[in-house]
Amino acid sequence: MAVAPIPPLDSPRAVANKSRKSTLLAAIRMALRVEGPAVRRNVQTLNRNRYTATAAIPDYEALKDQARAIKERALAQQDELLATLEASVKRNGGHFYFARTAEDAARYTAEVCKRRGVRRVVKAKSMTSEEIGLNHALEKDGIEIAETDLAEFILQIADEQPSHIVGPALHYSRERITELFKRKFQTDLPLDTGEELTKFAREKLREKFLEADAGISGANFVAADSGTLVLVESEGNIRMTILVPPLHIAITGVEKIIPSREDLGPFIELLGASGTGQPMSSYTSVFSPPLRDAPVIADAAEPEREFHLVIIDNGRSKMRSDPVLQEALYCIRCGACSNCCANFQAVGGHAFGGETYSGGIGGAWEAGTRDISRARFSDLCTGCSRCVSQCPVRIDIPWLNTVLRQRLSRHDSSGASRAMKEALAGVPSADAGASLQKLFFGRYDIAGKWGSRLAWFANGLSRLSLTRSLLENFVGLDHRRSLPAFASPTLVSTAKKWAALRGPARSKTARHRAVLFADIFTNYGSPSRGLATLGVLEAIGVDLVVSEALPDGRAALSQGMIATATKQARRASTKLATYLAEGRDIVVVEPSVLAMFRLDYRHLLEGEDGRKLYESLRGRSFDAAEYVWKCIQEDGLDAGAIFPAARSPRGTRIFYHSHCQQKTIGSAAPTEALLRAVGFDVVTSQVECCGMAGSFGYKKEYYDLSLAVGRDLFGQVQLAEGHGERRVLVATGTSCQEQLHAGMQREIVHPMELLAELVQPVGAAQA
Amino acid sequence: MDLVQQFEDATRDAAATVERIPRATAEIAAAVERFAPGAQRIAVAEPANLPAELFDACRKLPGVFTGRTKKEWAAAEVGITEAFAGVARTGSICVAMDQGDTGYASLLARTHVAVLAAEDIVERPADLFRSDRLHGKGLRANYVFVTGPSATADMGPLVHGVHGPHQLHILILV
Repeated sequence: MAVAPIPPLDSPRAVANKSRKSTLLAAIRMALRVEGPAVRRNVQTLNRNRYTATAAIPDYEALKDQARAIKERALAQQDELLATLEASVKRNGGHFYFARTAEDAARYTAEVCKRRGVRRVVKAKSMTSEEIGLNHALEKDGIEIAETDLAEFILQIADEQPSHIVGPALHYSRERITELFKRKFQTDLPLDTGEELTKFAREKLREKFLEADAGISGANFVAADSGTLVLVESEGNIRMTILVPPLHIAITGVEKIIPSREDLGPFIELLGASGTGQPMSSYTSVFSPPLRDAPVIADAAEPEREFHLVIIDNGRSKMRSDPVLQEALYCIRCGACSNCCANFQAVGGHAFGGETYSGGIGGAWEAGTRDISRARFSDLCTGCSRCVSQCPVRIDIPWLNTVLRQRLSRHDSSGASRAMKEALAGVPSADAGASLQKLFFGRYDIAGKWGSRLAWFANGLSRLSLTRSLLENFVGLDHRRSLPAFASPTLVSTAKKWAALRGPARSKTARHRAVLFADIFTNYGSPSRGLATLGVLEAIGVDLVVSEALPDGRAALSQGMIATATKQARRASTKLATYLAEGRDIVVVEPSVLAMFRLDYRHLLEGEDGRKLYESLRGRSFDAAEYVWKCIQEDGLDAGAIFPAARSPRGTRIFYHSHCQQKTIGSAAPTEALLRAVGFDVVTSQVECCGMAGSFGYKKEYYDLSLAVGRDLFGQVQLAEGHGERRVLVATGTSCQEQLHAGMQREIVHPMELLAELVQPVGAAQA
Repeated sequence: MDLVQQFEDATRDAAATVERIPRATAEIAAAVERFAPGAQRIAVAEPANLPAELFDACRKLPGVFTGRTKKEWAAAEVGITEAFAGVARTGSICVAMDQGDTGYASLLARTHVAVLAAEDIVERPADLFRSDRLHGKGLRANYVFVTGPSATADMGPLVHGVHGPHQLHILILV
């Protein structure tokens, strides 16, 4: 019997344009099979180095604020700065050209080369020149171009697009580079180590530098007041490119302009640390060309130095007038958002990227410089938020991707299907482009409500293979995932009974008053976590009530259904405001919901009132464990006496995995502190995200990627347990629990469940 | 910790080598000979920040070349330049890109020996962009922050010595 052949994998170039979803999926398959291991090793190294380097900057947060403020100022004054810059460049003796389009920039550059009789160009790494397709344009004129950055050298030989904005060839392992060089150069030279490969490339390129008629570079920053360029690198090829040939052409985007040379301070310190994780990259050039005081090395008559600055728009002014995409113009291209992204670590920028730009920020750039359909890969942004605190200019990248998702849904859907969804399902018209899959996950509150009312029926139904096959085919829910069961009774109904039994709350004497927010995930899916929280907070003397079950907007937001999320956020926050007015803090079980209150509501609650409400919600909402830890510290309680870990029926050895958004909003560290304080032996996971990321891992098309990400976490559990006894697996996030369960096939406990089991009867702690 | 000590530690972390020597022309030349014994092709760039006499002994080292052909520069073994600033936190030095041959000598030679006065060490990179540090020189000059030898991780493991110098040796004049 014939076995169906495995379809050949696509080349990176063939999957660069992901305007069709099938191309995105082909790219993920290619990346997981071919590029994944090298990407993971290199990106995770950059990620670790960044944490070390930024921790060594004592005023890191203040520098980010300064950098952000400078970029905001620069964007607001862009037109004046452009005029100032032109005057500065001309005063220095250089030439200035503003290119509206990619074609304009390429044509001008080709003309300058032609006029100077340029035959050979050395080129430094420049994403902007990739964006405008410069090499192709110059080669048409018979000009030979040598890419001199070693990564770009590899890509030029292999004919591939960059896979990372800082390390464009980090998807290549040393072994694959050896194979590529041997094949392309037909050489018998030994090329089996990094040193040998570097030497080989260095010798090929040194000759090119000395013979080049022109050097073409980009720029990291351009100071308008002085015409100063900043270029950051580690190999020395940029220094060669800008110093050795007599003609230097720098091509860069208009967003790189900052007001003055004095503004460079914060950026100089942030770029190296955020990018490669070094205090400084080997070389940071700061200069105002042309370099009149550096005579050209020449065998014959010394040619005159000439400098051209080409500033390109190519869609940037449109981005600037877009209230959301505008944020992307602050980007300093450090790649931190790629490096801390769990999905990016697994596949790299040939899957999570377009023709030039990649990673979390890449979608906005591909949409801005090409069109919205090119941003389809931004669907790989799960909104885990890890990049939010890593971006040196504080761009809310998940928010950009949420907006792109909404726009893509509209772009993809027909008018008729939108009208039907509006009419039948009451979906706000701005969200009506959402696919059936997005509607299913985005309105999980509806499924939860009916699922728990009819739990016996719904849970039975969801186990039937027919149901799973229907869900997979129509909603795209992968059949290999087990579905979270609907709970009956819900948290809210049980809590009501509990309150009736307990009698009136002791609000007069309690030092802490709080409301437990009955989020839809806890209420309909996992009320035991909520009930455990009630028990734990009761044990430390918190006067607690439970809210009604309300969708907070997280599920809708994660599907790009912003209008739905806004409506839900307004309703939930108005309700919560009444509790705040009563002097109650807000306690939240599900981290992704707490992240809504602390991060995302700033986009959803509009106007002056909305802003005030967001500020008060942000300041007074807490993760359950974080709240326990706060109360214990404020009241000077002995945590170990109230929750003696030694009594745990599960043992004291635990493995704790914190949720991605929990890390970003700062509630992971207090949870770990609490677990240690009560006497647990805690090993923590060292991953950015488990890979499930809400609904992401349930989706049929992303199942393999989700598990590939999860394998890091599963491996860390195995490593922590070694040959010793097992550790209790503890996780705060619902979807993290699902993912850990899928990988380890073991029970996963919530921190509150763990503590609730230890609660001493009142009075026993003192005895 | 004093700035010079902090600078030295950071420099070593960045894979450069460093030593303190007395401020005398013979001491500089002797340090070059110790670090690169028997070097055949040495480029000496004129200083602008330090007194020119400090480089007198270097100019007399055997192997110094003064020609300006591509071939001569392509084979340079040692380049001696001044650094007008050092940065304690990162171990960087600031070297002119132009200033005659300073840019070439610090880039094309296989070994770069940089001479830095101890009093020109500032605390952090951002200090170069302040008018009240180093008389505002960092706001005017064409220069490069050099932090260790040239390096790449593009070929797999980290390799020192790519297009720029393979070794960076810093002489601190005290």
